[in-house]
Amino acid sequence: MFEKSLYDLIRGLRNHKGNEKEYIQNCLKECRAEIRGQDMDVKATALLKLIYLEMVGHDMSWASFHVLEVMSSPKHHQKRVGYLGAVQSFRPDTEVLMLATNLLKKDLAATSPATISLPIAALPHIITPALAMSTLADLLPRLGHSHPAIRKKTIVTLYRLALVYPETLRTAWPKIKERLMDKDEDPSVTAAIVNVVCELGWRRPKDFLPLAPRLFELLVAGGNNWMAIKLIKLFATLTPLEPRLVRKLLPPLTDLIRTTPAMSLLYECINGIIQGGILGDSEYDSGSEEIATLCVTKLRGMIATNGDANLTYVALLAFNRIVVTHPFLVAQQEDVILECIDSKDITIRIKALDLVQGMVSNDNLVSIVSRLMRQLKTSSPSSSQQNGQQGADLETDSSDEAGAGASRHKKSQDAPPLPEDYTVDVIGRILKMCSQNNYASLVDFDWYIDVLTQLVRIAPVPRQVEFDSDSSSPSRLLTADISEKIGNELRNVAVKVKAVRVAAVRAAELIISQLHSESSLSHQVVSGALKPVAWIAGEYAFQLSSPEDTLSHLLHLIPRVQYPEVITTCLQAVIKLFALIAGNDQALWTAERKSSMSLLMARVLHVLEPLALHPYLEVQERAVEFTELLKLTAEAASGQTPSTDQVQQDPPLLLTQAIPSLFNGWELNSVAHGAQHHVPMPAGLDLDEPIHHELNRLLAQADSLMLPAQGDDEFEAYYTQKLPPTSIANEPAINRLADAPDEFESSSYQQAGEESYLDADILARRKAERLERNRDDPFYILESGRSGGTSTPIHNILQNENGPSLDIDSIPIMKLDLENLSTGLGNGATAGKSQQQNALKPRSQRQRIVIAADETLGVGLGSGSRPSTPRYDESENNSDSFTKSRAKKLKQSLLQVDSSHLGDLSLDAPSGPLDGSGAGLDKLGRDEEAEMALAMKEVQRLRLEMQRANERIQVAQGVPAEGIVVKKKKKSVAKVESAEVQGDAGSAVKVKKKKKKAVVAEGEGAVDGGGEDKVKTTKKKKAKRIIQLDDAVASG
Amino acid sequence: MINAFLVFNGQGQPRLTKFYTQLDTSIQQRLISEIFTLVSNRPAGSCNFLPLPPLLAASGTSHSSSEPHNDVPSLVTYRNYATLYFIIISTSTESPLGLIDLIQVYVEALDRLFENVCELDLIFNFETLHTTLSEMIIGGVVIETNMDRIVAGVRAQGQVAKRPVNEGRGGGGVGGGLGAGLGMGGNFVWHGR
Repeated sequence: MFEKSLYDLIRGLRNHKGNEKEYIQNCLKECRAEIRGQDMDVKATALLKLIYLEMVGHDMSWASFHVLEVMSSPKHHQKRVGYLGAVQSFRPDTEVLMLATNLLKKDLAATSPATISLPIAALPHIITPALAMSTLADLLPRLGHSHPAIRKKTIVTLYRLALVYPETLRTAWPKIKERLMDKDEDPSVTAAIVNVVCELGWRRPKDFLPLAPRLFELLVAGGNNWMAIKLIKLFATLTPLEPRLVRKLLPPLTDLIRTTPAMSLLYECINGIIQGGILGDSEYDSGSEEIATLCVTKLRGMIATNGDANLTYVALLAFNRIVVTHPFLVAQQEDVILECIDSKDITIRIKALDLVQGMVSNDNLVSIVSRLMRQLKTSSPSSSQQNGQQGADLETDSSDEAGAGASRHKKSQDAPPLPEDYTVDVIGRILKMCSQNNYASLVDFDWYIDVLTQLVRIAPVPRQVEFDSDSSSPSRLLTADISEKIGNELRNVAVKVKAVRVAAVRAAELIISQLHSESSLSHQVVSGALKPVAWIAGEYAFQLSSPEDTLSHLLHLIPRVQYPEVITTCLQAVIKLFALIAGNDQALWTAERKSSMSLLMARVLHVLEPLALHPYLEVQERAVEFTELLKLTAEAASGQTPSTDQVQQDPPLLLTQAIPSLFNGWELNSVAHGAQHHVPMPAGLDLDEPIHHELNRLLAQADSLMLPAQGDDEFEAYYTQKLPPTSIANEPAINRLADAPDEFESSSYQQAGEESYLDADILARRKAERLERNRDDPFYILESGRSGGTSTPIHNILQNENGPSLDIDSIPIMKLDLENLSTGLGNGATAGKSQQQNALKPRSQRQRIVIAADETLGVGLGSGSRPSTPRYDESENNSDSFTKSRAKKLKQSLLQVDSSHLGDLSLDAPSGPLDGSGAGLDKLGRDEEAEMALAMKEVQRLRLEMQRANERIQVAQGVPAEGIVVKKKKKSVAKVESAEVQGDAGSAVKVKKKKKKAVVAEGEGAVDGGGEDKVKTTKKKKAKRIIQLDDAVASG
Repeated sequence: MINAFLVFNGQGQPRLTKFYTQLDTSIQQRLISEIFTLVSNRPAGSCNFLPLPPLLAASGTSHSSSEPHNDVPSLVTYRNYATLYFIIISTSTESPLGLIDLIQVYVEALDRLFENVCELDLIFNFETLHTTLSEMIIGGVVIETNMDRIVAGVRAQGQVAKRPVNEGRGGGGVGGGLGAGLGMGGNFVWHGR
């Protein structure tokens, strides 16, 4: 017999690096054998080894019975191991716990302090209401134990008992209070009590007001910093209830702030002042002005000086609390707080962001967002990739620039990659900051649009869902897809701010073409931004620089879009674009136009037709509708002979009138959230009236109609597939020529720093726009060579030939941006030019940009001036309700201790809750309530006793504890015992759940033991859920 | 209150796990590894507080940010000594700076008990770690912060820490590679405040 000791096990583990798994499995096997043996020493050693392995992650729940065996060992060192095993391995569903009750009671009554403290320390880990109920009587006397260590542990354990079994407090509280009041009590016991009182305090502060004098005494006496911190925290919850405390507290607190050497205490003093609402009730107390300044300057000092990150963090925490009540105090500290946004420590950044969000104004919005954008840009993997490409591209041009590109690349490598959820969080905050109060803080919308365009590129790709088309499940919709939010913002701007609509549409165009060029053929398009962006392109198609290109991009994208909701929007956009392109009724119906139109329709049809079989109904429906419409149109177009020199022919009306008229309705405006509810019901509306009396017959007729088959689709498809993407072919050459010269123009000093977070092409466009804008401004000096916005001879020639009004320029430009970001600079300038006609106007009136408010009906100003946009609201509400429902579902966070029961208990009158102080009706009501509470408690107690009795029986019979009690398992108990008694428990449970007055009678009845009738009625309903009762009835 | 007290080393191997609520072993391990990834990616000079690990954040942040919920574990404090990380998960009702000091007290107490404590002491005497911890924290509530009392309390339980490691090393039984270099005594970094 050479059993391994724990040391052997650990050494073995270290010696078996590589095949630890196998070694551990062997050890577990040995332990299993050893722990079953008779020798207690071997058992205990095996258990200790198991506990060690549990720590590393190997389940030992199977050994719970053996844990119990070791716990009952008479030798202290073995018992200790047993208790450790129980603490580490027992879970709420561990069944042998029932068997442990007697053992715990016995050990609580032991003589040796070392033995007593074992169950005391273990109880908080394994406590259940039943266990609490049965050990309470044994635990209470330990409050008077001669050993202070036992006393303080008992106090805390009683607190944990109270969390699951609130009745504990009724009996224990008077004794604990006595200990607290006792000035001769051991200071460490007092400290433990204060800790417990503090824990209880924030749940039911009212009950602890009477203790204030004693607590105050302890605070002034000082000595133990930990206790002082707890006291301050406790007082912070008391002061709102008793404002007179403030005056009392201020002197010692300010004193502490001025004198204490312990930073933690200093901080908690300040924190207590903040949380207690002591800060700045300026009309109430003139001294509070002083204290507010003192606090804020101290906090500022924590951030600004000495660079201790912990102090920075806690100071931000405190500011986060102050900002709720005293935003102006925090706003004064803007400078230091902004610095924290750039901290390399994410924890600090997040806290600073929380703060900054509330501090945004016209003046600082741009600088704040710029900081954030810079962070995102330098650390996002996609941008470092882009930078890398850039570096490589530049290398071919000039070594100088290659150096710049490379250094930028290096920088982006230095910054640690930000976690994805952080990135998403930051983007969300940027959007929120900019859009809050209906864009109140936003001055420069063009800048915002550029930021949005950049954000779409930075945004992390939403998590890939399964590829099957069922991924349209609502759950995906709810996983907040940040890029869709960005797109929504762009859409909101386009709808609400007419002045910059053109810019927004161009941005949408850019994003679409970028998505098109980025995604390879095999990849699915997952960016949620496509949906709103496609909507913009469709709705404001006439403002696109090149509807044809955008249409062809969309057509290429649609087959690869993953989410059906996106496809539906894209389909709509495609038809709108088509209507715009085809709908020109001025131009002649030439042969050329005829063929190009039928080609175009064939292309669209080629994309739409497969979607008619799409599993998602909405997609299917739209695809079918549009397919049929286009087929009709195609027929009409092919039937219309083209005009010749002699005969003038009009284009088919279907093409020029019918289709465009589908989309030329009223302009869409943003509608306030909930406005729909205010639409009055028309007087004569009868929803029950059939639409048509012979609807059925008509439908039947329609069924019998045969649809003509289309024969020539394949032929057309052949052409479609071959169709080269327009104007890409000869582009690169132009690019190369175009980009060289003005690459290194420093951008205007006004916007210095933009280049650090906007991509090159976006920057170039901005710069060009700025140049155009300033052309007539005498304060800006234009470079002589650049007046036309062109940069190379060839370009000049082109431009001269074609004339600036021809939009030819813009086509390659759009392509350029996608194809090669770095070379976009030169052409970007010309893009700006072509855009200028439109852009110039809004620019000049930027100061008085009109932001449309949401439309609503008849609700007056209240919701008419709702701050944010309806879409945003909607999505927010959605996510809100989602988190709420989720919160409900999870209800309790991991690790959380549920203390909600505590709130129901009254501590005020331990002698009898009935002597309420009110009078008349009020009193009556209260008495009733109290009575009911009492009744419920009584019932609860009875039920627990029953359970306990049951356990005892089982234990006595030596039945393994399967299927016993534990409240939730009433069914299994039912088998064990006869049916009667449950009535009590059943109705008690009901009373508790419903808290209806009507049930009071029932509850009382049950308690009185007179509830038999009710028992029977409930019994019928729930005959299955039964606990046996004989004892209970007896005791009741 | 304090929800959990964890110790693990630079490779993420747990040296002490104490959860003040009952939790499945597998979830415990997941939480530990999530915290380890967070803690091991901290740049130098960062503060001793971690953002919430996903496991806790999932249920915690969404509503705790708007309405502070005192029962929800929302603060993860850590401290690094030589090869070891000490972690406390707690609710927002605890004092952040106080917790940092609490870890310090714990480590100092161990240092006194073991005399120049090093990771090996902790590995082989993990029962003592538990005993020491239960002299300071019971059921998630701090009961003692005074070093002398803590040490005395541990010693009173008859657990005089031996140095089996050194004996073992003398006998040549300990795995050769790990003996040297791990000692904490020399390169203890006290961030004392």
